[in-house]
Amino acid sequence: MRGWGGMVVAVVLAAALIALSGMVDRADRARRGAAAREELLYYPSGVWVRQATLGYETAAADLAWLRGIQYYGEHRLSDQRYDMIGHVMNIVTDLDPRFTQPYVFGAFVMSQELGQPQRGLELMEKGMRANPEDWKLAFETGFLHYVGTHDHAAAARYFARASALPGHPEYAERFAAFAAQRAGDRDMAILLWKRVEATGNKYMQEVARRELRRLGDGAEG
Amino acid sequence: MRGVVAIAQNTVREVIRQRMVLVLALFGVGLVAASQVLSPLALGEGRKVVTDFGLAGSSLLATLLVVVLGSSLLHKELERRTIYAVMAKPIRRSEFLLGKFCGLWITAAALIAGMFAIVLGVVTVSYGETPWLVLGAMALTVLELGVITAIVVFFSSFTTPALTAFFAAATIVAGNFADDLLYFGSQGAAPWVARATEAVYWMLPHLTVFNARGAVVHGIAVAPERLAFAAAYGLLYLMALLIVAGAIFERREFR
Repeated sequence: MRGWGGMVVAVVLAAALIALSGMVDRADRARRGAAAREELLYYPSGVWVRQATLGYETAAADLAWLRGIQYYGEHRLSDQRYDMIGHVMNIVTDLDPRFTQPYVFGAFVMSQELGQPQRGLELMEKGMRANPEDWKLAFETGFLHYVGTHDHAAAARYFARASALPGHPEYAERFAAFAAQRAGDRDMAILLWKRVEATGNKYMQEVARRELRRLGDGAEG
Repeated sequence: MRGVVAIAQNTVREVIRQRMVLVLALFGVGLVAASQVLSPLALGEGRKVVTDFGLAGSSLLATLLVVVLGSSLLHKELERRTIYAVMAKPIRRSEFLLGKFCGLWITAAALIAGMFAIVLGVVTVSYGETPWLVLGAMALTVLELGVITAIVVFFSSFTTPALTAFFAAATIVAGNFADDLLYFGSQGAAPWVARATEAVYWMLPHLTVFNARGAVVHGIAVAPERLAFAAAYGLLYLMALLIVAGAIFERREFR
């Protein structure tokens, strides 16, 4: 009988703990939502962040990168507002200037989702200053000029710059020539977006498919 | 010299008894779990993220091990009074200290080698490419751990375990801010302040010399001249610290 009594007490305690956990979680949910927004608003920035990581700046950059993707994913599923994305990607790249993916991703989101290509281009310029030998950054900057600001002369300039850097693929030269000769061509934009669809990450692929649909390209899914 | 080797061997055994294998196993499991969880979230940057976390985790764990275990190594000998038995043998106190240093450094180096091997294995299996360049960062981390071990041994030669851990941690943090200290000292401060900050700047260990983790992750190899410079700087720094620590320990009164 004593054994049963102990079991009943254990079950009651476990049930109380589960119920309490549920209540605490519900109470915390609203606070967590607000805190997440504030967290990014007050996300540290500037060169001091780098010092504060005590030599572990690339691991800290990865954490900020993962948080930035999470932020993008959350807002993609809700209000589709990405106001803090530039701020977060700036921190990631302050911590790890050689990490090139955040420049491209942040610039694409600012250009295509926020409709602020100039901010995106500023991030790309920062990337090119830190990685002057990286052909991809020059190429993507040309791309953003082509589809974002529609400055085809600038696009041609950056494609040409990409085609002069080590490791560039043969299509960089082709795109430089296209952009220079046929500025404003819809076919060129479709070509560029198809390349993103084939090589970008899953979020960029979705943006590419949407842009391809907008351009009326029938080949995409 | 035989005495130094015997004390080093004994220190290695003593540290290994503190469940170092468990630390390695936990690190391996943690890294495998992290690679599985983080890879899909990193948008194609999983390899970089896992390598970064692996290198940072190895360095942090080994540093913690040196500070936590190292700060009580000498004190334990004093508390258990085993040091009297050692001192009865033909061995100098400074040799005893050197033996403790070597034992702790060798153990920390072995731990780092084990953890880097796990990083190499996990990245190879998960991404089909072995990041051999991390071996350059490993060599620098081993040198860094030598300097940190010397700092711990230096403080433990004259103070308590708690204060040793505190001073060692403070020195490691300050070592990462050495350049900023010099910068602030040069920004319009009184001449004596500028001179004092410059003196502290030169005394602090410049730990950034040993940090190539960020470079190797991006495929930049550690140049042989950088390795040679770090080795020269690290060995000179730790030797200077051990000489001072030895001199202090020779004069210390055991109670």
